[in-house]
Amino acid sequence: MPSSRKTILVVDDEPQIRRVVNHALADDATRVLEAATAREGIDMAAAERPDLIVLDLGLPDGSGADVCREIRGWSQAPILVLSARHSDAEKIALFDAGSDDYVTKPFSSAELKARVRALLRRAATRDAEGSTKIVRDDLEIDLERRAVRLGGSPVHLTPIEWELLTALATHPGRVMTHQQLFTAVWRGRDHGDAQQYLRVYVAHLRRKLESDPVHPRFIFTIPAVGYRFGT
Amino acid sequence: MSRRRRLRDATLWLVVLAVTTAILIPFRAELDKAHITLVLLLVVLGAGAQGGRALGVGIGAASFLVFDWFFLQPLHTFVIANPLDWLVLFAFLATSIVAAQLLHREQESARIAGARADEVDRLATLGAEALAAARAEDALAAVASMIRESTDAESCSVYIAGEQGLRLGAASPASVAASGVMPAPPLVEWVAKEGAPAAQTSGGTTRLGRPGLRVREIARKSDSDVHAILMPLTVRQQTVGVLRLEGGGIAHLDDSQWRFLDALAYYAALGTERVRLAAELANVEALREADRLKDALLASVSHDLRTPLTTIKALAHELGALGDERSQVIEEQADRLNRLVAGLLDLSRLNAGAMPLHVELNAVDDLLSAALQDTEPRLAGRTLVTDLPSDGALLVGRFDLSLAIRVLVNLIENAIKYSSPGTTIRLAVRREESKLLVSVSDQGSGVPAGEEERIFTPFYRPSSERPDAGSAGLGLAIARRMAEWQGGAVTYARTSEGSIFTLTLPAADLKEL
Repeated sequence: MPSSRKTILVVDDEPQIRRVVNHALADDATRVLEAATAREGIDMAAAERPDLIVLDLGLPDGSGADVCREIRGWSQAPILVLSARHSDAEKIALFDAGSDDYVTKPFSSAELKARVRALLRRAATRDAEGSTKIVRDDLEIDLERRAVRLGGSPVHLTPIEWELLTALATHPGRVMTHQQLFTAVWRGRDHGDAQQYLRVYVAHLRRKLESDPVHPRFIFTIPAVGYRFGT
Repeated sequence: MSRRRRLRDATLWLVVLAVTTAILIPFRAELDKAHITLVLLLVVLGAGAQGGRALGVGIGAASFLVFDWFFLQPLHTFVIANPLDWLVLFAFLATSIVAAQLLHREQESARIAGARADEVDRLATLGAEALAAARAEDALAAVASMIRESTDAESCSVYIAGEQGLRLGAASPASVAASGVMPAPPLVEWVAKEGAPAAQTSGGTTRLGRPGLRVREIARKSDSDVHAILMPLTVRQQTVGVLRLEGGGIAHLDDSQWRFLDALAYYAALGTERVRLAAELANVEALREADRLKDALLASVSHDLRTPLTTIKALAHELGALGDERSQVIEEQADRLNRLVAGLLDLSRLNAGAMPLHVELNAVDDLLSAALQDTEPRLAGRTLVTDLPSDGALLVGRFDLSLAIRVLVNLIENAIKYSSPGTTIRLAVRREESKLLVSVSDQGSGVPAGEEERIFTPFYRPSSERPDAGSAGLGLAIARRMAEWQGGAVTYARTSEGSIFTLTLPAADLKEL
C-alpha cells in the first residue's frame, strides 16, 4: 500500500445500501469506492486493489459465489458478503468460494463496522503467518514440535484433534467449512463415516481446550457452516 | 297378446283337435284308451305352448269332452259306464291343466328374465356412458335423460345438495335447465332436508313421505293422478341431491319401471356425488395454488423488505448519532417488522413441509454455545445458569443444528421476556433413554391456567398481555413445529417458581472414536 489509508470497495446494486455502507465506513483513514454491478465490481477490484470488499449477494448480473471465486483468483482481500437471506447451503457455498464473513440484512451500522474492523485486523496479521508458534491468551500451539500447552501445562491431543486444531488455528478469524476442515484433516483419504463424526471430534477437542465448553474462548461454532478459531 | 290373435289361436287348435279326433275315430275299436289320451294330450300341450295358459286349459277341457263323447263307452253320450273310466278322464283333465300351468310359468319366467336382461343392459350402457363422460355434469345429464326416457316423464331434474344449498345439476330435456327453475322449489328443499320422498297430484295436492318410504308407495295413494314425484338421492346414508320427475307416463309406471327407476336413481345419486367431488377437487386445487402464491409472496416480500429495512435502520442510527432519541424506536420497530416477516415465512414453510432440513450428528455443546452466544448479551440483568451432566459426558444427537439453535434461542428469549430482571434462568441438558432433553426454566409469572397448549398456536398472546407488547405470537408456534420437523418436541410445564420449557431432540450413541 502506497499510503496507510485503507480502500474499501462496495459492490451493491441498491444505491441506498451503498450510501449506508459508505456512510458507516468512510472516515479519515478509509476511502470507500462504489460499484453497482458484478462486472463493474470485479473491474474495480482489479484496478484499485482494495483492502476489503463488501459484496451484495443479490446482484443482477452474477451470483455472489462466482464473484467471490473470480476475485479470490488474484486477490487476498477479505470479502464481506451482504445478503437478505441465506440458506445454509448458500452460506457454505460462499465460504467455500472464498468469502470471509457475512452480514444478514437488516444489519446495523455498528455490526457492519465491527465486522469490517475484525476482517481488516486479521488481514494485517496475516503477514505474521508462517511463524511456527501460535499464541492466543494462555493457549500455545507449537507447530514445529507438535505440542499444545494450556496455561503452561501440556495438553495431550490425538492425531486427528491435532490436525483439526492446526487447520483452524492457522486460519485465525476465518470461518472453516466442514468440508474445508475435512479436506485439511483427512486430505482426501476415504475415511468412511469420519465426515459425519467431524462435529464430535471438534467437541472432544473443545472439551480439552475450553474450561467451559458452552462458553468457548478459542473455537466458535458457525451453525450449519463450520468453525472459526478466535474472534 | 291381442284379442284377435287369441281368437285365431283358439280356432287353429280347435281345428287341430277336430282333425285329430276325426283321424282317431275310425281306429277307436283297435286303440287303447291310453293311446287316445296320449295323442290328445299332445294337442293340449301344443295349444298351451303356443297360445298360453288359457288356451291350454280350454283345449284341455274340449279334449276332455271329445274323449268322453267319442271314445268312452257308451259312445256319443257323456254317460260313463265303467267307473274306472272316471279315473282316466280326470287324470287326463288334471294332466292337461297342470301341463298348461307349468308351460305358462316357464314362459313367464323367460319373459321376466328377458325384461331383466334388458334393464341390466340399459343400466350397463348408462353406467359406461356415465363413467366415460369426461365432465361430471355430462354424466349426470346422461342419467337424467335416461330416467326421463324410461319413465316416459315429461321432464326430469336432478338437484345437487351443496354447502350453499340446492342447485339444479342436470335436467332433461335440456330446455328445462335453460328455462331456469332456480332457486329450487320449496318441495325440493323439503325432500333434501328430510331425506323423504314426496308426490304432487295434478289437482295440486302434495303428499309427503317419511324417510325410508319408497316413492311408489306415495304415488300409489294418489291413484293415477300423480303429476310429479320427488325422491331423495342418497349415497352412504347421505342425502346428496333430489330427483324430480314431472308429467307424462309417471302416473302409470308398472312394477318393473319402478324397480328400474330405483336403480337409475342410484346412478343419479352417484352422478351428483361425482359432480360434488369434482367441484371440491377444483376448490382444493385453487386453495393449493393460493398457498403456493402465498408462500412465493412471503418469500419475495421478506427478501425485498430487508433492503429498505437496512436503509431505515442505518438512517435511524445516523439520526441517533445526532442526538435524536426517537431513532432508537425506529430501529427497534424495523427489527420487529423483520422478525415478523421472517416468522411468517418460517411458519408458512413449516406448514407446507418445505423447511429445508439437514439432520446430522451434532454435539450438544455446539447447540448450547451458539444459543448462549446469541442470547447472553440480551439477558438485561437476569442470571443464566447452565447445568451440564455432572459426569462430563459428551451428549450427542441427530438433529438439524441451525433449527435446534433457533428453537433454543426462542425459548431463552421467551424466558427473558416473561421474567423480571434479577431472576435466574436455568438451562439444563440431560439424556433420557433415546432422547436429549434441553430445558429452559425461569422464575416468571408462568402461562395463564388453561392456556398451556394454546401458547403453541400461531398468533397466540397471553390474555394478560397488552396488545402492543411487541410480539406477534409466532415464536413458540414456530419453535414447536421446528422441533417436530426434526423428530423432536417442545413442551411446557409449570414449576413452583415459574415456567419450564423443554426441547426434546433424538439422542445418538457414539461408537469408539
